[in-house]
Amino acid sequence: MNSNAVIGASVPRRDLPAKLTGEARYTSDIHLPGMLHGKILRSPHPHARILGVDTSAVENMPGVHAVLTPFDVPAGRLAPDLPILDGVARYVGDEVAAVAADDEDLAEYAASLIRVRYETLPFVTTPRQAIEPDAPPIHSGGNLLGGEPLILTRGDTDEGFEQADRIFTMSFTTPAHSPAPLEPRAAVAMWEDGNLTVWKTTRGVHADRMSLASALGVERDAVRVIGATLGAGYGGKDESRLSVITAELARRAGKPVKIEATREEEFVAGRKRHSTETTVKIGVTNDGEITAIHATTLMDTGAYLASGPGVVRRAGQGALYLYRCPNVRYDGYLVYTNQPSAASYRALGAPQGHFALEVTMNRIADELGIDPLDFRLRNHVGIEGQAGERVTPASEIVDTQPVEGGIPFSSNGLRECLEKGAEAFGWQNRHETAETPSPSEAHIKTGSGMSMFIYRGGPGGRSSARLRLNPDGSVQLIAGLMDVGEGSTTVIAQIAAEALGVSYDDVRVTFGDTADTPEAPITAGSTATFSTGTAAKQAAEDLKTSILRLAASHLNAEADALDIVDGHVVSENGTMRLPLSDVAALTSDEPLEVQASVMPGSKDHIVNSFGAHFAQVEVDTETGNVRVLRYVAAHDSGRILNPQLATNQVEGGVSQMLGFTLSEEMLTDPHSGATLNASFLEHKSPTIQEYPPIQTIFADVVDPIGPYGAKALGEPPSVGVAPAVMNAIYDAVGIRLTDLPATPDKILDALNRLDEVTIAKVPSASMEGMSRKVPSPSTGEG
Amino acid sequence: MGVSAMNSFQFITAPTIPEASELLTTNAASTRIIAGGTDLLGEIKERVITPARLVSLQAIDRLRGISIDEDGAKIGAMTTIAEIAAHPHPYMRTRYAALAQACDSVATPQIRNVGTIGGNLCQRPRCWYYRSPHFDCRKKGGDRCFAHDGMNKFHAIFDGEICPAVHPSDTAVALAALDATVALSSSQGARTMPIADFFVAPAVDVATENVLRPGEILAEIAIPPHTAITRSIYLKAKERQAMDFALSSVALAMEIEDDKVVSARIALGGVAPAPYRAQDAEQAMLGKPIAEVDAALVGRAAVADAAPLSDNRYKVHLASGLVSRAIRTLLPDHARSQ
Repeated sequence: MNSNAVIGASVPRRDLPAKLTGEARYTSDIHLPGMLHGKILRSPHPHARILGVDTSAVENMPGVHAVLTPFDVPAGRLAPDLPILDGVARYVGDEVAAVAADDEDLAEYAASLIRVRYETLPFVTTPRQAIEPDAPPIHSGGNLLGGEPLILTRGDTDEGFEQADRIFTMSFTTPAHSPAPLEPRAAVAMWEDGNLTVWKTTRGVHADRMSLASALGVERDAVRVIGATLGAGYGGKDESRLSVITAELARRAGKPVKIEATREEEFVAGRKRHSTETTVKIGVTNDGEITAIHATTLMDTGAYLASGPGVVRRAGQGALYLYRCPNVRYDGYLVYTNQPSAASYRALGAPQGHFALEVTMNRIADELGIDPLDFRLRNHVGIEGQAGERVTPASEIVDTQPVEGGIPFSSNGLRECLEKGAEAFGWQNRHETAETPSPSEAHIKTGSGMSMFIYRGGPGGRSSARLRLNPDGSVQLIAGLMDVGEGSTTVIAQIAAEALGVSYDDVRVTFGDTADTPEAPITAGSTATFSTGTAAKQAAEDLKTSILRLAASHLNAEADALDIVDGHVVSENGTMRLPLSDVAALTSDEPLEVQASVMPGSKDHIVNSFGAHFAQVEVDTETGNVRVLRYVAAHDSGRILNPQLATNQVEGGVSQMLGFTLSEEMLTDPHSGATLNASFLEHKSPTIQEYPPIQTIFADVVDPIGPYGAKALGEPPSVGVAPAVMNAIYDAVGIRLTDLPATPDKILDALNRLDEVTIAKVPSASMEGMSRKVPSPSTGEG
Repeated sequence: MGVSAMNSFQFITAPTIPEASELLTTNAASTRIIAGGTDLLGEIKERVITPARLVSLQAIDRLRGISIDEDGAKIGAMTTIAEIAAHPHPYMRTRYAALAQACDSVATPQIRNVGTIGGNLCQRPRCWYYRSPHFDCRKKGGDRCFAHDGMNKFHAIFDGEICPAVHPSDTAVALAALDATVALSSSQGARTMPIADFFVAPAVDVATENVLRPGEILAEIAIPPHTAITRSIYLKAKERQAMDFALSSVALAMEIEDDKVVSARIALGGVAPAPYRAQDAEQAMLGKPIAEVDAALVGRAAVADAAPLSDNRYKVHLASGLVSRAIRTLLPDHARSQ
C-alpha cells in the first residue's frame, strides 16, 4: 500500500518555517511575567568537601529572591550519584550554590558574594590514576564502577589466539569531546498551586518529568515538562543539574526562574563524550581469517555516572559483532575521575570502539597484503549473524547489542554498503588518479581510507502514539517523544499519513510535552523513527479500522470494501466517497481516538544498522594540516522514509565527527583539573572551510521489522568517521596515529619520528615504502 | 549595580591624543585604551582584567588612514585590518605583500572589520593559563608559570624561560620582516623606534609585552620605502583555516639584485614572546646567488636555537618548514629545496 506516496518523499521538515523566520521559540526566548534569573556558583577545586556556605551577604540584598546551598536543598536525587546540590565538589565547575535575582547581572554578582569554605581533597584526573588502590574515592563504592569490568564473551579467545598465525595488538586513545551545541542548555521553571511547569532544552520530556519529580519530592503528575525548540542536542542536553536547580530556585522564590548556561558553562558543566583508552588484540590466520578478537576499553565518566554503563557497553559492540569471528571478548572499565562529567553523546561509545577496531583491522589487512576493502568483504558479519548458540529465550525480544551467536539479522546491507561505497569512491583506482606532484607540492601527500561499522537498529523501549480524528478531517498525532531537531515530528507524521491514507499536511503533531501525551522514551539511541514510528503506524492502522467501521455503518457498506485514500473513505468500486471531516461528524460525543503502545523489536532477529565510510585526505607534511578532500558515506538504515532528512543526518554526523577526528577535544590542566579551552575560539570546531563534499549513499534495504522497512539512522553516521580518516592519513604518509584528534602537532611529531627512521635506515626510500619498516611496538603477541 | 560576566566601566571617547593621554595617565592602573575592542572585551569578559575606565580612540581621525608613496608607507594605528588588506595601492600587494597577507590571515572577516592594526600589535597573549581565572600566573602578578609543566603545545620554543606565552599578532611578524618602525605619542611628546624595540621580553617585564608607558599611545606604523627588488611573503600555520591564531608563522622580506640576495629579514610568529628574528637564517642566505640558496638549510638555521617544551617540539619542524616554504615560494625557479 502506497496510496499517498508520502513514504520515501522528502517532505519539508515541520520545524523549518519557524526556524527560518525566527519564530521558533527556544528556551531562552521564554519570558514569563515576574520571571527571575538564576546563576550557579561553581567549584574552583577539582575535589573538595564543602564545609560551609556563608550566604549572609546576599540574603537580604534587594532583588535577590532565593539562595540554594548544599545544606538546604531537598534530599531527592536526579540520579543515584547526583543530588540537587552536594556537600562534595567533584570537578572544577561542579555546582556548589545558586541564586535567583531580578536580573542576570544581579544574580551573578550575588553568586560572587557567596563565601564557601572548602576542605580540598586529593584528586585524580585520569582513569589510570583513579583505579590505583590508593586513589581518593570520588563516590562511595570505589572509582571503578561496580568494582570490576564489564566482561562479555562469545566462544573462547584463548583458543582463538592459539589458532592464529599472527596476533596484532594496538592501543588507542580518544579525548573528552563536547557536542558543542549552538544553543547552551537552559530551563525556565514556574510553580502554580504546587504544580511545576518546566520549559527546557531536552531530549525526553517524560524522563525529565520523572527525574525532576523524584529530586524535588513531588508527584510525577504535579510536574509538566515542555520541550522548547531545541538548538541541537546530540544527546548531551540532559543529565546535568541545571533544570532542577532552576525549579528549586523558583519554588523557593515563589516566582518563575530562568537559567541559561553561558558558553563556558556549557563546555565545562555540560556533558560530553567519554575519553577512552582502548586496546585491541586480534588473531588472524595467514590467509586472513579472524580467529579471535579481544578489546579492552578504559573509559572516563568524570565526576558523575549519567549514562556511562550504556556508553561503555556500546564501545564493545564493534569488536563483538562487526566481523565474523567465533571467539570474541570485550572488557569495559568505567571509571570515576575528577574531570567534568561525561554522559550521552551521539552514538555513545561506538565511535571510540570502532576507531580502535577499524584502524587495527586496516593494519592487519596491510600487513597480510590484502586490500582493506577485500579484507572486510571477506570477514564482515553476514545476514546469518554470528555462529553459536542462542542464549536469549525464544520468547524474548532480541537485544540490539547481542553477544551470543545463533541469531540472524532482520536485514544486513553491510556488503552492499561496502560495494556501493567503494564504487562511488573509486576505491579500486584510488591510487591511480593522483597526478605526479610538482616539486613545489612535494610536501602534499594524498591518501584514501575506509571503515565499516555496525550499530543498534532502532528498537528502543516501550513506545506509544495516539491518533485522533479532528473535526476538520485532519489527524492529530500525539506522542510524548521530543523532536530534538532530527525531524521525528516530520518522519513519524509521514508514517501516520501513509498508514492512514491521508496527506502529510493533514497530520498535525503534538510532541514534546508531558501534558496529555503518553509516556515515551528519550529521543536517544537512534530509536525514535523505529520505535515511536512503529507505535504511530499501529495507531494509524487501528484508527483506520475504527474509521472504516464507522463509515461502513453510516454508508451501509462492508468495512472490508472501504479504504481511505487522500483523506476520504472510498469504496472499492468508487461509487462512495466520504471526506474524513464527515466521518468525524458521525461521532457526536467523543472524537475518534486510538492509542497504540508497542514493544518494538523482534524475537527472531537482530535489528541492526550498518555502513561503510570512505575518505580521501591530503596531508601537508610541512604544516601537519590534514584536509579531507572528499567523503563517501554508505549506509544501511533500512528503507529511507525521507531522503532529504536522512541525507542531512549523514552529513551532520560525518561533519561533527570530522571535528572529533581532526581538531576537537576538551582539555583540562593535569595539575588542577581546570578546563583550558571552554570557548569556540580555543575549542577548535571546524569551520565551513574544513568540510569536504560528502556523498551519501543508502543501501537498497527494506527491513522486515521496522516501520515501512526503516532502521536506525541518527547515530550511525558518527561511528565510522575517525577510522576512515585515520586510515586515509596512513595511506597518505605512512603514520598510524592512535591518539585523537589528529592535530598538526601530532602529525608533525609522527612524521619526524618517521623521518629519523628513514634517514637512518633507507636513504631515498619513498615515504610510503618506508612506513612499513617502522618498528611497531605492537607487532606480535602483546 | 549589576556586575555580570563583564564588569561595569566608564567609557570615554577621547577627542585628541593629548586628551587621551591625560585620561590614561590618571588612574593608569585601572584605565585601558580601547581601539577595536576585539581583544580587550574578551579580556574583560574572561575577567583577566577589570578596568574601571576605557578610553576610546575612535574619534581621533589622525590615528586613522594609510598613505603609500615612494617614501614608504604610513599606517595610522586605528586603521582596521580589513582596510589595510583592501588598500588599492599596488605596492600593498607587491612591496608590502607580507603585511597584506598577514592581515588576510587574521581571525575572521568580522574581526578584521573592527580590529585595528594598533590593537593587533598590542593584543595580549592567548596563553590559556593567562586567560583562565583559575591560574595566578607570572603575567598576572603570580610567582609561577603553569604552562612550563602543564599543557604547552601552543607555547614558545624561543625565549620562554620566564613566560612562554607567545605573541599572538600576525601583523607584528610581517612588520618586523618589513623593517617597520612605530611612533608612540603622549601628552609628553613622541618617540619612534624599530618595531623590534617596541616589544618587551618577559625577562625585562613579564607583565606587559611592549614598551608603552602610562599615557602613551601607539600612533602610527611606518614602513620604509622598499623598492621593486623587494619580495615579501607571510605564511601562517594554524589548526583550522579561520578564526585561529598561528601555531607558527613566518614573514620573509628579501631584496634580490643581479640574482643575488642583497638583504633578507626573517621573522617568526607563534614561537616566542615577541616576533622572533631568525638572524642566523638570514645570514645563511645573505649575499648568496639565488641559485645557491638552500631553503631547507635556511629553515633549519632559523630554529637552531629552539628550546621546545614538553608539548611543542613540533613547532621546531613547523617553523623550519615554513621558512623553507617561504623561500621556495619567493624564489620559485631558483631555490633548491632538497
